[in-house]
Amino acid sequence: MIEAIPLDHVVLVATALFGIGLYGVLSRRNAVAILMAIELMLNAVNINFIAFSMYVSPDPTVGQIIAIFVITVAAAEVALGLAIVLQIFRNKSNINVDDLDLLRW
Amino acid sequence: MSIAWLIPLISVAAFVLLAFVGKRLPGGGAIVSLVAVAAGFGLAVYGFFDLRAADVAVNEGPGPFAVDFVSAGDLSIHLGMVIDSLSITMLLVVTFLSFIIQLYSVGYMRSDPRIHWFFAVVALFTAAMLGLVLANNLIILYVSWELVGLCSYLLIGYWWERPSAREAAKKAFVTTRIGDVGLLIGILVLFKATGSFEIDQIFEMLTAGEIPAGTITLAAVLMFLGAMGKSGQFPLHVWLPDAMEGPTPVSALIHAATMVTAGVYLVARMFPLFAASEAAMLVVLTIGTITAIFAAVLALVETDMKRVLAYSTISQLGYMMFALGAGSVTAAMLHLAGHAFFKALLFLGAGAVMHGTHGIVDIDKLGGLRKKMPVTTWTFIIGALSLAGFPLFSGFWSKDMILSTAYDGGHWVTFAVGVVTAALTAFYMFRVIFRAFFGEARSDEARNIHQAEPIVAIPLVVLAFFAIVFGWLGSPLVGAPFGAFVFTGHHTAEHGESIWVVLISSAAAILGILAAYSVYQAQNPGAASIRSAAGGLHTFLAKRAYMDSGYQWLIDNVSMGLARFVAVFDRKVVNDAGIDGAGAAVRLSGKGLRRGVTGLLYNYAALMVVGIVVLAVAVLLGSG
Repeated sequence: MIEAIPLDHVVLVATALFGIGLYGVLSRRNAVAILMAIELMLNAVNINFIAFSMYVSPDPTVGQIIAIFVITVAAAEVALGLAIVLQIFRNKSNINVDDLDLLRW
Repeated sequence: MSIAWLIPLISVAAFVLLAFVGKRLPGGGAIVSLVAVAAGFGLAVYGFFDLRAADVAVNEGPGPFAVDFVSAGDLSIHLGMVIDSLSITMLLVVTFLSFIIQLYSVGYMRSDPRIHWFFAVVALFTAAMLGLVLANNLIILYVSWELVGLCSYLLIGYWWERPSAREAAKKAFVTTRIGDVGLLIGILVLFKATGSFEIDQIFEMLTAGEIPAGTITLAAVLMFLGAMGKSGQFPLHVWLPDAMEGPTPVSALIHAATMVTAGVYLVARMFPLFAASEAAMLVVLTIGTITAIFAAVLALVETDMKRVLAYSTISQLGYMMFALGAGSVTAAMLHLAGHAFFKALLFLGAGAVMHGTHGIVDIDKLGGLRKKMPVTTWTFIIGALSLAGFPLFSGFWSKDMILSTAYDGGHWVTFAVGVVTAALTAFYMFRVIFRAFFGEARSDEARNIHQAEPIVAIPLVVLAFFAIVFGWLGSPLVGAPFGAFVFTGHHTAEHGESIWVVLISSAAAILGILAAYSVYQAQNPGAASIRSAAGGLHTFLAKRAYMDSGYQWLIDNVSMGLARFVAVFDRKVVNDAGIDGAGAAVRLSGKGLRRGVTGLLYNYAALMVVGIVVLAVAVLLGSG
């Protein structure tokens, strides 16, 4: 039964997933890996939307619709991000973000 | 008369024409200026007969015609001209003298390279003076007032190659400015009390008793401050003797006949305001009395012919002021108009001497001019007799009217001072005459002098005629037509000229002339001993009672000290600490903050996370 999984557990999983994603964003130097970590964070958010929608909101469809929006936006973001990464790679033969520090004093 | 606005406008047009193309016109375009002012005179004469023919009370005239100038909310400023006996009198005097003096200038200024500029500024001056006279409104009056001041500045400094001319122009401008500030504040005080700049409306409210007494006194005294500056009243008289640095026709037109009388005219125009405040009238009376005697005493020791005339102008303006202070507009205006004629005559005579001697005006270096230039000498003597108030000359009647005003009003001190001043006036004028025109020539220039050319001599003769006859307009022997034309509703009583006043003032004039004769012509030995006994006093007077040097000391120490303090404050506090300090603060904080801009992605991400955590904790703590 669905009721068998309490909200706390779901939130914990989402938090863990978000933490993994955050860690990936902060620690990775590879731009593609950072994009993937961001995906993890977005999906953690999606889980929270679905879970709260189911357990808290009176209308369970609201959270699901927002989750679909998030997935759509994430897809667009990844497409754009990968295009930028591709351009960076063509220019520098390298996608290490530590080398991308032109915007500084 | 709806063509009043044309009178100043013609001269404005002449100014524009001369200023832009005057250089290319033959003779500097003097003819343009002459035609303009002649047309102005024609219109003034027309206006005079129009006013006489109009079937209205003589002192009201056909009334102002107003043009809307500004209309914003409750405030609406109408600009208009007023044609009444007061302004018509001034119009006739200004346009006539301006014409005569410009005619004289054609001869006098002929060899000057900038002659077109001279005539341009004289035309502008005439326009401004006419605007000042015709204004029915304090705004036009003030603007014209400043314009005549500007023209005075330009013409005193006309020979700007000479440092003394530049200094004199500056002195005149700054000194009169002190008074002008008072005038402006006075106008604004009146506006605040009445909500109107129109003189008529202000007087209406005045008679209705809607202006508090304190405000009336304040406004009148402030406006009188402006009149003091313009009319060279003590203690703001210091600029007028130095103003003689300008060309002599300018001294005659601006600094004797017209502009300096603007202060008297202002008080006459605003007379109901002054008359409503006893304190203000007392101020006018006192300042006028002090000025009359003080300037006459200073004139006793001055050796520069033009400066003697300048002090005499100041002294006569003092007469006009105390006549107003004693309550007679008629006497002041008669003396103003009469003085304009004979003083212009005296200045033009001095100018003819200067012209003949190539610039010598020191009476110690002249002498014996009588034989070489008879026309100048005799017209000068006529002017001096008139100025001294010698019986039956023009100045006699107006001076008598003034003295009887003081006598009738019970102003004994003023009356006594007036009589003494009359004697002094006769003395210093005949001192100049005996020293300059009689005796032996004391320099080569004076020996080689020649009679003035006709264009210079004719104005002298014309003015001499007026210096004899003009005052008869105020003479009780012919029914005093001037008094019936110019008067104020406040002072209706006809002056019964006391025979004693006439005798005393005639005696004073004759005594002064005899004294001058005995000292300077007959070389009475007693005079020399008096002079050596009063050596200290002589030095004191020759140094102009130390007022000029006192003012200079004040400017050097107080004004300049204050200016230096302000300059240091500006440089150190406003500039260094304020402006540069703000810039330095921004630069330094930027220097520190830019350390955070590493360009490294994970630094930004980490900071973002820290920021979010801090915010989240804050929100939790806040809601918990």
